[in-house]
Amino acid sequence: MTSLTQAPETTPVTPPRTHQAVRGNRLARFTPYGLIGPALIAFAAVLGYPIVRLIWLSLQDFGPRSLFTGEAPFVGLDNFSRVLGDSDFWFTLLRTLIVSVACVSGLMVIGFLLASLLMQVSAWARVMLSVCLVLVWAMPMVSATMIWRWLFEPQYGVLNWVITQLKVFGDFSAHDWFSSPSQALFLIIALIVWKGLPFVALTLYAAMGQIPGDLYEAAALDGAGRWNVARNVTMPILAPVLAVLVLLEVIWSVNSFTPIWVLTQGGPDGGTTTLGVYSYLEAFTRNDYSGGAAIAIITVLLLAVLSVLYVRRLFAQDEAIA
Amino acid sequence: MRRKRAVPNTIAVLVSLVVIFPVYWMFATALKQPGKILSATPEFVPWPLSLDNFRTALTHGPFLHYVRNSLLVSVSTVLIALVVALGASIALARFRFIGRRAFLVGLVLVQMVPGSAMVIPLYLMLRSVGAIDFVPGLIITYMTFVLPFTIWTLRGFVAGIPLELEEAAMVDGCGRFGAFWHIQLPLLAPGIVATSIFAFISAWDDYLFAYVFLKSQNNYTLPVWLVSFQTSDGIDNGATIAASAIFSLPVLIVFLLIQRRLVGGMTAGAVKG
Repeated sequence: MTSLTQAPETTPVTPPRTHQAVRGNRLARFTPYGLIGPALIAFAAVLGYPIVRLIWLSLQDFGPRSLFTGEAPFVGLDNFSRVLGDSDFWFTLLRTLIVSVACVSGLMVIGFLLASLLMQVSAWARVMLSVCLVLVWAMPMVSATMIWRWLFEPQYGVLNWVITQLKVFGDFSAHDWFSSPSQALFLIIALIVWKGLPFVALTLYAAMGQIPGDLYEAAALDGAGRWNVARNVTMPILAPVLAVLVLLEVIWSVNSFTPIWVLTQGGPDGGTTTLGVYSYLEAFTRNDYSGGAAIAIITVLLLAVLSVLYVRRLFAQDEAIA
Repeated sequence: MRRKRAVPNTIAVLVSLVVIFPVYWMFATALKQPGKILSATPEFVPWPLSLDNFRTALTHGPFLHYVRNSLLVSVSTVLIALVVALGASIALARFRFIGRRAFLVGLVLVQMVPGSAMVIPLYLMLRSVGAIDFVPGLIITYMTFVLPFTIWTLRGFVAGIPLELEEAAMVDGCGRFGAFWHIQLPLLAPGIVATSIFAFISAWDDYLFAYVFLKSQNNYTLPVWLVSFQTSDGIDNGATIAASAIFSLPVLIVFLLIQRRLVGGMTAGAVKG
């Protein structure tokens, strides 16, 4: 739901000394199960079972009538062949890819530049910029979307006024961004990048702060220019952090629902529908719950590859698990 | 040195202005006199200040009722998540048991499950037991979605407390619960604060689940109401933006307060990368 995924580890955790070592009675053997019990039940009820239900749903024909009868015929892989045979799906997939690539590359490039900027400025400027970033981070997505709608309002939106004043792009007064799919998509990408930027920039800034200064001094002694330093010193050291950020941002941007739904409801003419919105529309607007489930499963499978990579990387670095 | 930093500092000022502008514009619009909002030439400084937009937002329909709904949902999420997560994190940090590793792997995997995929089966499940529009259903859903991060974070804090402290307390006559209450809990306070903020904001900000699960307007949380917000004359931009500002304000304040720790904490997270 929200963006913090990696817990800031407060202490280097060594494999725990356990209570069993202290007191080996029978009660103690069941204590840990009692303690994780409630969490297990919650996971089973709200995540585990629904995942099974989702898979089962995608193999049924669950339409509006099934809502009341509770019965739905088993149809095997029909939903998948129907979804995959629909050109709408492929357009949506393509659109989702475009949005994710645009969002992730925008986030990574601008985030990297902002992090480098934070490294170079005076203390007051660093505080100012990071406070601004933190405030953007804090903005609830729904509020951010409402502001976006207002910023780009055709008649009175301040952005149209600014663009018109620039006299570069011509007259934008009364320009309706939301009537053209590509322009609406651009607004959505801009919103996701703006909202996601603080997390990327501040994470990269934190990681850059960990790079020992002598490396830069050595590079400077060897006569490396700014570009060379970025390419041969900063980038390789940041590679693991960059990889995790790219993975997370891809997953988040593919699944993003609120900014698109609130801004455009996937329109005009389905022109801003991405996979997350598509599965929602299929299920809740067209009442084809099985079709929606099939789309959701395809999306999850596409992202699963990335998720596995992420989990392996995380575990390779956390020894407390072992 | 001063000279060298002049250029990046100037860039930083410009970048800050661009980055913060939408947030500024939210407050600037909300504080304008309603008549000045729809003007062909925007006024960048709201003057004279006016609270009329806030008044319209607050008095139009039962706004405070939605605030109460949102607070109820978010606070319940935090409280239940804390109790459930504390237990699990103590088990993970203090006990060796069969299935521990599997649970930890599951914890990370579970974070990858997208809400937009889960909303369909969850909706149908709630519906089949007649619990659509049932606020506790929403709370339990939020609670479960914040659990992985909450458990993961608290586990680190619990593991950081020396076992000797508890043992000493128990030697001094505290029961295990007494030791937990008097020794562990106070030391866990920073972790509890951090995870509470995370859980609260997750529930406070969510739109998707609340939008799908809640059918009657009476149960709406703030974001759902905000998106559907219209006055009798159609969309009142000033009032909508003022309502957005009220909705954002608590989160903005919390983030400002923890700003230093947030940026500092990420340093620790980034090393793990």
